[in-house]
Amino acid sequence: MSLSDDFAFTQGSLGDYADCARRFELRFIKRLRYPALEVQDALQFETRTRQGARFHKMVQQHLLGVPAEALAESLADDEELARWWANYRARGLTDLPAQRLSEITLQTHLAGRRLVAKYDLLALAPGGAAVIVDWKTGARVPSQSSLRGRMQTIVYRYVLAQAGAHLYADERIPPERIRMDYVYVASDGERLSFAYSAAQMRQDEALLAEMIAAIDQADQFALTNELRRCRFCSYRSLCDRGGAGRLEDFDIDEYEDEEEETFALDFDQIAEIEF
Amino acid sequence: MPLDCGIWLEGIAGSGKTTAAVRRVLHLLASGVPAESILIFVPQRSLAQPYILALRGLTSHRGGQVSVHTIGSLSLQLVETFWFLIAGDAGFKHPQDLPNFLSLELAQYFMTRAIEPLVEERDYFSSVRIDRPRLYSQIVDNMNKAALVGFPISEIGTRLKSALASGVEQAHIYDDAQTCAMAFRKYCLEHNLLDFSLQLEVFREHVWAAPQAQRYLRGRYRHLIVDGVEEDNLASHELINSLLESCQSALIVCDRDAGFRRFLGADPDSAQRLRERCEVRATFEDSFVMGAEVSALGAALAAQLGAADTAESAADPRRALITEAHRYHPEMVDWVATQVEALVHEREAPPNEIVILAPFLSDALRFGLVDGLERRGIPLRTHRPSRALRDEPAARTLLTLARLAHPHWRLPPTDFDVAFALMAAIDGLDLVRAKLLTEMLYRRERLLPFAEVHATAMQERITFDLGERYDRLANWLNRYIDGGRTDAIDIFFRRIFGGLLSRAGFGFHGNIDAGNISMNLVDSAREFRWSLDFMSRYDAQIDLGLDYVRMVDRGVIANSYLRDWIADVEEGVLIAPAYTFLLNNRPVDYQFWLNIGGEGWSRRLYQPLTHPYVLSRGWPPGALWSEDDEQAMNRLTLGRLLLALTRRCRKAVYLGYNELSESGYEPRGLLLETIQSLLRRLAREEQHV
Repeated sequence: MSLSDDFAFTQGSLGDYADCARRFELRFIKRLRYPALEVQDALQFETRTRQGARFHKMVQQHLLGVPAEALAESLADDEELARWWANYRARGLTDLPAQRLSEITLQTHLAGRRLVAKYDLLALAPGGAAVIVDWKTGARVPSQSSLRGRMQTIVYRYVLAQAGAHLYADERIPPERIRMDYVYVASDGERLSFAYSAAQMRQDEALLAEMIAAIDQADQFALTNELRRCRFCSYRSLCDRGGAGRLEDFDIDEYEDEEEETFALDFDQIAEIEF
Repeated sequence: MPLDCGIWLEGIAGSGKTTAAVRRVLHLLASGVPAESILIFVPQRSLAQPYILALRGLTSHRGGQVSVHTIGSLSLQLVETFWFLIAGDAGFKHPQDLPNFLSLELAQYFMTRAIEPLVEERDYFSSVRIDRPRLYSQIVDNMNKAALVGFPISEIGTRLKSALASGVEQAHIYDDAQTCAMAFRKYCLEHNLLDFSLQLEVFREHVWAAPQAQRYLRGRYRHLIVDGVEEDNLASHELINSLLESCQSALIVCDRDAGFRRFLGADPDSAQRLRERCEVRATFEDSFVMGAEVSALGAALAAQLGAADTAESAADPRRALITEAHRYHPEMVDWVATQVEALVHEREAPPNEIVILAPFLSDALRFGLVDGLERRGIPLRTHRPSRALRDEPAARTLLTLARLAHPHWRLPPTDFDVAFALMAAIDGLDLVRAKLLTEMLYRRERLLPFAEVHATAMQERITFDLGERYDRLANWLNRYIDGGRTDAIDIFFRRIFGGLLSRAGFGFHGNIDAGNISMNLVDSAREFRWSLDFMSRYDAQIDLGLDYVRMVDRGVIANSYLRDWIADVEEGVLIAPAYTFLLNNRPVDYQFWLNIGGEGWSRRLYQPLTHPYVLSRGWPPGALWSEDDEQAMNRLTLGRLLLALTRRCRKAVYLGYNELSESGYEPRGLLLETIQSLLRRLAREEQHV
């Protein structure tokens, strides 16, 4: 069994491979859905992820013209989310170029494969800056160095440089114009920024191409030797790697639930029930 | 084709319309059109599959992503996005709270909650011999039709009564259905719930009127590709019509002689009005699919039923038909399996070029076919979307374990369910030993330890290895009970799955099917919990786990298994209901039509509370629906169905006929009658020549 020909790589799938090749195989090649708990405190974990998803949705609604006040009124029962919203309103959009596109997906190709990135927000000024904004709702702000090496930082900047021309007056965006901002709305809107360069892009391209080629050529996907990486993996019972981890040890911002194509609830499925 | 105007492309199935439309999308992209500005709009997700596959195969494209939507997915997205702008005007009692969109099963659940007290109190529907979930689903269906066709839900009862009520009792039934629909709508508005009908109504009447939504949609989508427009409804056609005003280009693809989803509001006549909006009109006449004999067969059958004009053909339709009469149903099923085997092994037909179709796919028929093909080593896939999730072994096991773990529900599982769950949960345990364990150790709603089996011979028969695994399961459950835990039901499923069932030595370990089914059950239970959690701010709290299990038992929840619908193209003979195959729109070399004597090929399902034609746009107000109308519509529907099937068949049609049906009756359905009549006519004509 191998990866399907039309598989699209994302920062999430590459991150999984970097963490544990076996996890990548189970999730993306064997497509095994495994409902084991990621963390012991399942409900609390769920509350946090739903708050994060709601925050992202609110930003999108705001950028599409829903008044911020109307959105704020809906937060009467959630102090934490209201605090995030206040931080977003105070600092989230500061110093960003005027053309703003939320929840946009771009794709390029590398090593014969599609590479896809789904952005929370792109703020662009054709001929000027091209800023990637990623909202983070986790309580912890990681170090600059760990974020720099995160697959998301590598993939997002690279894909924008390769595939953003149509958003930038039909010119390929010079890497030096690209910046990626992580905005930690739970930490007073603290912003960690990462510039880009042609040299960095070449380095990233080599790394990504190497990973993709390695996956394509692999006939065995080894289980990671680092047991700490199994703590929050839903396949750990399959691999006999212990129980669920604790929520306080978990970096909620690393929990990505990406879908290449979303189709939400499809009520047209009513059709099939009739027959 | 030009890239700056509207094009109407019409033709028969198999003439290459979708292929042309897919190429147009690729051409738009190659011409530098931003992918985000392209909207592919289809009546049903499965019809988007050729586009999705082509787009996924594009390894040279740099840029954004094309959107693919149905009216359901697009209206959901926009209502959710612009909710806080419109909720107050739309009449919701809590416009500052989030909306709660209901899947079909949740709509039925809340319908049950909203109207059951009324139904009980006033003894509604007492004369209708259908179970409650099916009755309620018809009320939901009526509301959906009203929204799709665009009439107020308050008119449902009047429309049905004026066309169909031949007596006082029937009129009361329609009145009751009307009252229930209004009660459910009121309940939804009071609780921020949106079933499909309300979602669509809010979209059409409020969101579409909001300048922000107009700006977003019109600004974003500049190029429109519409496929299967004849299968879509009035609401979709109105949206497309409006988008045409601002689109730079459009291609609208229409399949002639189709419109199978009429029962769901498909309106081929209203689709034709979009034709007038297009500057360029093109027609594809020739089929690239059908052989001459299959084409002649389809035309002759359709003409026989009045669904098409009589067409002269030099080809003999009989050469496309292969049939053999059988006395009993199992003989017919065996014949089908043997014929498939011959096609695959002797004539080297690829298995995925064969479909086996019936109007309905009963468990017995499905089992007989699967068993017969598997014994012959033929790969297969079955598509019976209405198969109940709760009937899948992994789901049954989890539900039984949930009952055991929550004795305060007072819903102890039966001995058989416990034995079945033990067999599925413990790797290597067969049903005989599972029953023995249940008989000896399932006491007072709990599982006793294996040590309680006192006879050594019996312990050895079970084996100590299996006994040890049984103990781990029993201990897990008893610890859960004694610890006083009451996890949310989906969390319980996940905890016992990860903590026990998926571990080495247990039945779900490395079992892909069990993992997927368990995940589906978790999804269903979680959606249920989220909706009910949300309701707790307006209503009294209930025990969600208990209510979930009760609703599963009643067939309201987890009653359909839809999530794997859009499985990627797989290898194998497809076994499916005929309409399901049609709506997948993929031609094959060989088709098997089974139970051709059955009424199901032509007759509508018994639906006493609803009616697809009377509640359609074209039905004249006040007109009566007669038995003649029913017969004429049955003939027309069957004619269109046969035409559509043959247009998706390249080489031959095998007919599965048995003199006695599955239930032992001698079948005399319209399909059988039509085929016999055609064969007699052809024989007569041959004699004359």
